[in-house]
Amino acid sequence: MDFELSQDHKVLRDSVREFVEHEVKPIARQIDEEHMIPDALVAKMADLGLLGSYLPEELGGAGMDLLSYILVVEEVSKACASSGVLISAHTSLCCGPILSFGNEEQQRRWLPDLTSGRSIGCFLLTEPDAGSDAGSIKTSYRREGDDFVITGSKIFITNGGYRGTGIVFATSDRSLKHKGISAFIVDLTTPGVEVLRNEEKMGIRGSYTTAFALDQVRVPAANLLGREGEGFKIAMDTLNGGRIGIAAQALGIAEGAFERALAYSKVRKQFGAPICDNQAIQFKLADMHARIEGARLVTYRAAWLKDAGKNYTLDSALSKMLASEAATFVTKEAIQIHGGYGFICDYEVERMYRDAKITEIYEGTNEVQRVVISKLLLADR
Amino acid sequence: MKILVCIKQVPDMESRFKPDSAGGWYSDTDLAFRMNEYDEYAVEQAVQLKEQLGGEPEVVVLSVGPDRVVEALKKALAMGCDRAVQVQDPAAHLKDPWQIASAIAGYAKGENFDLIFTGLQSQDRGSAQVGVTLAEILGFSSVTTIVGFEYADGTATVRRELEGGLKARVQLKTPALVTCQLGLNVPRYPTLPNIMKAKKKEILTLPMADLLHEEARSATVSFYPPPKRSGGIVLEGDVALQVDQLLDILRDKTTVLR
Repeated sequence: MDFELSQDHKVLRDSVREFVEHEVKPIARQIDEEHMIPDALVAKMADLGLLGSYLPEELGGAGMDLLSYILVVEEVSKACASSGVLISAHTSLCCGPILSFGNEEQQRRWLPDLTSGRSIGCFLLTEPDAGSDAGSIKTSYRREGDDFVITGSKIFITNGGYRGTGIVFATSDRSLKHKGISAFIVDLTTPGVEVLRNEEKMGIRGSYTTAFALDQVRVPAANLLGREGEGFKIAMDTLNGGRIGIAAQALGIAEGAFERALAYSKVRKQFGAPICDNQAIQFKLADMHARIEGARLVTYRAAWLKDAGKNYTLDSALSKMLASEAATFVTKEAIQIHGGYGFICDYEVERMYRDAKITEIYEGTNEVQRVVISKLLLADR
Repeated sequence: MKILVCIKQVPDMESRFKPDSAGGWYSDTDLAFRMNEYDEYAVEQAVQLKEQLGGEPEVVVLSVGPDRVVEALKKALAMGCDRAVQVQDPAAHLKDPWQIASAIAGYAKGENFDLIFTGLQSQDRGSAQVGVTLAEILGFSSVTTIVGFEYADGTATVRRELEGGLKARVQLKTPALVTCQLGLNVPRYPTLPNIMKAKKKEILTLPMADLLHEEARSATVSFYPPPKRSGGIVLEGDVALQVDQLLDILRDKTTVLR
């Protein structure tokens, strides 16, 4: 058993860390305030290969393993959770299903544009009345000659504002429930795709969260991902893997806040001594570190299981749950350690606190994660 | 054309350093290591020259030290060096600059390099001797502290920093060695695909004992932090008494009244 990252993983982590330190960290606050990640930063991340880490080289990716991707999302999220989720949603939720379920022609048609950042990917599953209950989506499709025609509405679509490439889920017949759902690869500039709005949010404000109307959107039959009726399985399988990416994002947020709180506790003096001399602060630091390290071990193990071709469903759910709860806990305590300064935007831990909350909600709420975990524990009943 | 880049792996300079058990150097447990900053300029310049010459030159990167230095070598390979050499020595920190330079020369002699790039100095030991000593042993021309580099037809033209903001242009014939200073270039970030490609590049391991036949000429005998400054003195009591005390202190402990 070996808990050390390999030298290659360390080289990757340190390289990304250096990039983030110089290119992302200095503008993280600006990204939050302006509700936008500068195109120049997206281009730099693409040039570095951050948008296709585990995609094969011949499709423009870096050909790395899932653990590498996790390290990328973690490092970027330490400084900027909005940039972290851009990478995570793009890679796990759009590139991922095309790689896993797409045929060779689809992979060649779509993935090079995604890995190079010419197109940013997203995942259009959620609807106003279908969140955790994804099987109840109303967006419908019908076959017309060589095309499928899709109509409906989608909300809360991460990266939607880029109008790049979307994996769209729609049903042919709601009475078939899950089995009526199919997945389509859709160019989001296709006529009929309308951006209704990019939402105003509590956190990850630099990330687009978009509502779409789909009005008679005509897509070629060649864009059907997998077979008709396989959509729900594709969605669940994609989210199963995607969760590890969100765990990495949450882990990064927690680490970013912890680093700041630890440093601040050593320099902030009250009653003639650094506040870290107080046991009240020391215990907070110990609790924060414990949550982070616990979440990290499970997150890396989930990635390792997937890389090893083993079943990772339980660890993926565990990692997402533990890391997101570590993130909300640690960011809250980081503000407390900063005292009044923590409440001021200049110190940035308040942004991390706002960014952390969504990780308990998206890509399966933590309640859904608990359902997944407990179902697996009780599977023999 | 053949280029050598010499790099060192050093601790993150924001670490807290503690003396090791022998007391002659810092303890490296719990430290995070990275490529010496000046050596990144050296790697970048070598790779830029390779690109300028259409990829023709072979760029070899070398580091002396324990197995962890392979991480620094891998980074250099991911930045664009072609192959790497680790001069394996878990006790490299006990060697003096003369020995390190001699060992590198022991390798470089048979390889016929045209150009050698090194950092100006290492961030941890800071002797700035290895580069120039290596040049001397090999009989290479050398220039230190370069902030600009051009190459054409066997001649390198470099800019160096002088005191007071002055600069000098120096031309030197190959084979030559230059030591690189901040401002020479902006080192690239290794891209993910290049990190993957680096995995397939050769890393040759040579034992220190095969290359080094020289005794040390100097030794670092102790390693210690600066003494902690004691707190100030607070004078109390009657003002006249305080003045007398202050005058005594100024007379005894300072040169103010002499």
